[in-house]
Amino acid sequence: MSETNFERTVSELQNRKEDIRPSDVILFSEPLRSALNYVIRLGRFSLTEFSEKLGFTREQARKVTELLIQRNLIVVSRFSTTDETYYESRLSALTRPLSRPSLDIWKKID
Amino acid sequence: MSKIISVHSFRGGTGKSNTTANIAALLAMDGARVGVVDTDIASPGIHVLFNLDEADMAYSLNDYLWGKCTIEQAAQDVTGHVGGEIKGQIFLIPSSIKAGEIARILREGYDVGLLNDGFRDVIEKLKLDYLLIDTHPGLNEETLLSIAISNALVIIMRPDQQDYQGTAVTVDVAKKLDVPKMLMLINKTPTSLDFDDVRSRVEQIYNAKVGAVLPHSDEMMTLASSGIFSIRFPDHIVTKGLRSLVDQLKS
Repeated sequence: MSETNFERTVSELQNRKEDIRPSDVILFSEPLRSALNYVIRLGRFSLTEFSEKLGFTREQARKVTELLIQRNLIVVSRFSTTDETYYESRLSALTRPLSRPSLDIWKKID
Repeated sequence: MSKIISVHSFRGGTGKSNTTANIAALLAMDGARVGVVDTDIASPGIHVLFNLDEADMAYSLNDYLWGKCTIEQAAQDVTGHVGGEIKGQIFLIPSSIKAGEIARILREGYDVGLLNDGFRDVIEKLKLDYLLIDTHPGLNEETLLSIAISNALVIIMRPDQQDYQGTAVTVDVAKKLDVPKMLMLINKTPTSLDFDDVRSRVEQIYNAKVGAVLPHSDEMMTLASSGIFSIRFPDHIVTKGLRSLVDQLKS
């Protein structure tokens, strides 16, 4: 069960070619969507908190955080210690200029 | 712990900025340190309610997003602008009202992460109890960001068919973004309507709690955004409704 969720989570993140925007978060499947909503609101969070929220092992959760770092959603916090890794959420992505055709936020919401 | 509260409406003209300013004033009257960010970059306006002139804006949110200043440098202390007995403090981070700067940011876009970082920085640097985000009407990346990071969301609507449909979309998105507290505010309600009936119908339609039903007010219209209503009319029924909303946000 957990393995299936993990594989789907990794696949969804690997398939993304761009940074993660707020509107992308609502598209992700569970448990990723809820976990991201939770940590984005927290601002700073630990690997332990994230793995608990995802229901994944620490190693699985670490793999997910690596993908999130690649997509500029989170960064490793300077508060990390040898025992625990902390992250900070950023949601780093450029908003679309209104003069360009929109990628259509509505398709994501429907 | 600081709370981020977003005030949103699907359509314009619902009284979003007015409500945001009044919530800020009522929180500050109780002694809170409150920040207000005008993220309605395309059509800024909340600075008018706080009597902040363009000449007084050393920096704006636009300047922060372009890296010209820190977020706290863009924050103006407007406590003395609102009148009344304010025990706390109110800081406003206005959006630029210069046409060229509005056009530039709409044309070029900006890094959402900077906005997110800015919200967190300003809370920390100014030791805020509350950060209120006055959002752009409708849904775009900025409003979704605001909702995504908020601890509470106030969704404003009027009892109007156009508002009903659009608000459903906002409520749906807010639910997908797991906002911990969501309150509906029904504004500008004709006094001929049964307020209890309006409240129960809206709660039933959206499966969301209604924080207040506020009547259409001639006094509000006459004030015409030249000040903070709850300070000018502390005993008015609208102020009582707003006070109730604030109490629910604080709880």
